[in-house]
Amino acid sequence: MTSDRALVGISNLPNQRYKIVSSNGGTFTLMVCGESGLGKTTFINTLFQTTLKHVDSQRRNQPIKKTVEIDVLRAVLEEKNFSLRVNVVDTPGFGDNVNNNKSWQTIIDFIDDQHDSYMRQEQQPFRTVKFDLRVHAVLYFIRPTGHGLKPLDIETMKRISSRANLIPVIAKSDTLTAQELQDFKIRIRQVIEAQEIRIFTPPLDDSSSPDPALMEHARQLIESMPFAIIGSEEKYDNGQGQMIAARKYPWGLVEVENDSHCDFRKLRSLLLRTNLLDLILSTQKLHYEAYRKLRLEGAGSTEDPSLPTRAPARKLSHNPQFKEEENALKKYFTDQVKAEEQRFRQWEQNIVNERIRLNSDLEEVQAKVKKLEEQVRTLQLRRH
Amino acid sequence: MLASGSPEEVAPSNTETKELESTPKVKQEELSPVNDEVSISNGNGADLHQETPQSNERQVLPDQPDLKVIQRKITGYVGFANLPKQWHRRSIRNGFNLNLLCVGQKGLGKSTLINTLFNKDLYDLSERPVTEMADLKLEDGVNPPEQLEEEQPTIKIETVSTEIEENGVRLTLNVVDAQGFGDAIDNTDSWNPIVDEINSRFDQYLDAENKIERTVITDNRIHACLYFIEPTGHCLSPLDIEFFRAVHEKCNLIPVIAKSDILTDEEIEKFKVTIKDQLNEAEIKLFEPPKYLIDDEETTNRSDKLHSKIPFAVVGSTSDVSTPDGRVVRGRAYPWGIIEVDNEAHSDFVYLRDLLVRQYLEELRERTSNILYENYRSEKLKNLGIKQDNSVFREFDPDLRQKEEKQLHEAKLAKLEAEMKAVFQQKVNEKEKKLQKSEAELFARHKEMKDKLTKQLKALEDKKHQLEMSLVNQSANSPVQTKKKGFLR
Repeated sequence: MTSDRALVGISNLPNQRYKIVSSNGGTFTLMVCGESGLGKTTFINTLFQTTLKHVDSQRRNQPIKKTVEIDVLRAVLEEKNFSLRVNVVDTPGFGDNVNNNKSWQTIIDFIDDQHDSYMRQEQQPFRTVKFDLRVHAVLYFIRPTGHGLKPLDIETMKRISSRANLIPVIAKSDTLTAQELQDFKIRIRQVIEAQEIRIFTPPLDDSSSPDPALMEHARQLIESMPFAIIGSEEKYDNGQGQMIAARKYPWGLVEVENDSHCDFRKLRSLLLRTNLLDLILSTQKLHYEAYRKLRLEGAGSTEDPSLPTRAPARKLSHNPQFKEEENALKKYFTDQVKAEEQRFRQWEQNIVNERIRLNSDLEEVQAKVKKLEEQVRTLQLRRH
Repeated sequence: MLASGSPEEVAPSNTETKELESTPKVKQEELSPVNDEVSISNGNGADLHQETPQSNERQVLPDQPDLKVIQRKITGYVGFANLPKQWHRRSIRNGFNLNLLCVGQKGLGKSTLINTLFNKDLYDLSERPVTEMADLKLEDGVNPPEQLEEEQPTIKIETVSTEIEENGVRLTLNVVDAQGFGDAIDNTDSWNPIVDEINSRFDQYLDAENKIERTVITDNRIHACLYFIEPTGHCLSPLDIEFFRAVHEKCNLIPVIAKSDILTDEEIEKFKVTIKDQLNEAEIKLFEPPKYLIDDEETTNRSDKLHSKIPFAVVGSTSDVSTPDGRVVRGRAYPWGIIEVDNEAHSDFVYLRDLLVRQYLEELRERTSNILYENYRSEKLKNLGIKQDNSVFREFDPDLRQKEEKQLHEAKLAKLEAEMKAVFQQKVNEKEKKLQKSEAELFARHKEMKDKLTKQLKALEDKKHQLEMSLVNQSANSPVQTKKKGFLR
C-alpha cells in the first residue's frame, strides 16, 4: 500500500501508448525496386508469410513494356490482434529496357507525389481523414553479378536515398558462394560510400541508458548490409521433421530463415520486428519534412504566421511522351511562322516590283514633261 | 493609267519615291511565339475539380477509386505486431508531458490537491494563508468604492513546471493555475482570460505547425482542465456553468468536488446527481475514458466505475497520519476519524489520479490533439478565409493519376497553343497592316506625283499650244511685217 501510494503512476504511461497504438493499428508502405526476375514478388510473399501477390506469369511472357509503371498492392494484415495496413509499391518495367536513361524518374515522381499529396491534405482546414501512401522504405534489389553496381543502380539509389529510406539488398544470393558474397558486399559498400548514397541504418539509442542487447542487434544489422536474401514460398522438411521455407537444390537445401544461409531474418527484423517504427518516423520527420521545406521555401511565406504557406502547384511528372507532344506543337508553330514569312517576302517583292513599275511610269511622264518643256523653250525662242 | 508604264529601268532616279524602299524585313524572333517560359503554375489540381460551395465548411471525401484491399489474418510470426512494443520503447525515450490547467476559487484546496496528485511539493503551502489574508483585506472594501472597481482581483495565470521520474519514465508536468477566478464581486466575463490562455496556446501550436522549419514542436496546449466545484451540496453556480460552456470544447474538462470531506456520502451522491443533470442540460461535454477491444473484463469494469464517479469528490493531503490499526497514510485526521486520500472508499482521489495520470493521460493528450485542437484550427482557418479543397483527399490510383497527369498536360498544351497562336496572329496582323500601308502609300504617292506631272504636262501642252498659236499668228502677220520691212528696205 505504501509503495503504491508513493507512486504517481507515471511508469504506466508507456503502456497507455502501447494500448493506443494497438487499437489504432498502423500503416506501412514498402516499395520494391529492381529489374524483373530478381524475386521481388516472392520476397514480399515470404516476408509476410502469405501470398499477397501471385507471381505474374502473364507479365513474364509478355514483351517488355517501354515505360516504368507503378503498381500498388493494398492489404490489411492482422497478426496477434494487431492490424497493419500494408501497401506494397512495385515498379514493373524498371531497368528492363535497352535505354534505361531516366527510368528512375517514375519512381522518384511517385515518392515525391505522395509527399506532395500528404502536404496538401495536411494544409486543409478540415483534415480528419488523410490518405497516406508516403513510402517508408525502398528495397532496392541488386542483381547478384558478383562484380559491382551498375551505373543505373548507382544513379537510381542516389536519387531514392535523398527522398526515402533506402535499403539495398542482394537478390537471389544463393547464386554466390560465401566468399563471392563477402567480396560483393564489400565492393557495394565501397561504391555506396564513394557515391555518397545514404542508406537507412537502424538508429543507435542516444538516450542515457541504452539497452545493450538492442545496441548489439543494431550493430549486427549495420554490419550485414547490404542484406543478401533469398525468397521461397515453398516449404521443405529440414531433416528434423520441421517444414521450413527453403529452396531445394540437388546439392542441398537453402533455408530462408537461416542466418548462415542468407540475411533474410536480419532484413525482416529491420523492416518489421525492431525498426518498423524507426522507418515510419524517419520518413515523417526527415524525408517528408525535407520535401515540405523544399516546396514551401520556393513558395514564399505568407505574412500571417497562422496561415499555412500555400504550396506551389503540383509539378507534372517527367513523361517523355508529354515532352514529345509539346515539341510537336512548337514545331507546328515554327512551320507556320516559316510559311507566313515566305508569304510576306513574296508580298514585299511584289511591292518592290510595283514600285519599280510605277517609278518607270512616272519617269515616262516626266520624260514627256521634259520633252514638252524643251519644245516650249524652243517655241519661245522662236517667238522672239 | 498605271499599267501603261513599262518597267524598263530598275534604278529609280526620282527622289520622291525613295521612301518606298524602306520596307522593314520580317524578323524570325519577332514572329516566333514559341516561348519556353510558358508554365502551368495556375493549372494546379484544384482547377480540375470544381467545388461546390457547401464543401467549404467541412471535409467531404470525393469519390474514391474502387481499389482492392486484401484482408488476411496471419498465423505465423511475421513480427509487425511488435509495432506497439516499439512505440512503448520509443515513448520512454521521448518522455511524456502534461499541461494541466487548474481553475477554482480560493480556498478550495487546489494547491494541496496538485501536490497530493503528483506526490510532490509543487506549491509551498506554508506561505499561502498570508497572501490570502492580504487579498481578503482588499476585497473587504477598505478602499473607496470607485477604486475598488479598478483594483478588483484580476485573474493571474501562473505556470509551475516540474519533472517527475518513476522507473525510468519521465513526465514533464506544467500546472497552469488561474488564480483569482470567481473571487471578484462581479464575475461577468471573468473566464475570458482563461479562454484567451487556452486559445493562445492553440495559436502558438498552429503557428509552429505552419512554419517551414518545424522539426521540433513543443506542445504547450492545455491537455486537461481541473475545475474545483465548491462543496455546497446544492448545485452548480451559474458561474460554474458559464465557465464550462466557455471551455468544454477547447479542453478536456474534469470537474471535481473540492474538499468533499465536509459532505456525507448521501450528500455527495445527491450533489453528483444534481451536477450531472445540470451538465446534461447545459450540454457540457466532458472527457470520457475510451474502451479498448483488447481490454479484459476487469479493466472494462474499472473504466466503467471511473466514468460513473465523475464529478470526482476529492480530498487532498500530503500529510502522513497514523490510523488506529497502525498504518501510516496520507490523509486528514478528525476527532471522529481519519479520511484516507488513497482509499477508494473515502474519496474519489484514486479515480481522479487514474484518469489524469495512470490510465488516461495519453488519451487526454490524444483528444486534445485530434479533436479539440483540430476543431479550433478548422474554425480559425475558415475564418481566415482559407478555402477547403476536398479534391486532395483521395486514395492514390495509378490509372487515375495518369488520367490527371494527362489532363494537366493537355491543359498545359492548350495554354501553350493559345499563347503561341495569339502571339503568332498578332505578329502576322501587324506585318500585314504594315505591308498594306506601304502598298497604299506607294499608290498614293504615285498618284500624287502622277497628278502633279500630268498637270505640269497639261500646262506645258497648253503653253505649247499657245505658243504655237501665237507663232502661227505671227507667221500670218509676217507678210505685212515683211511688207513693212520691205517698205523700210
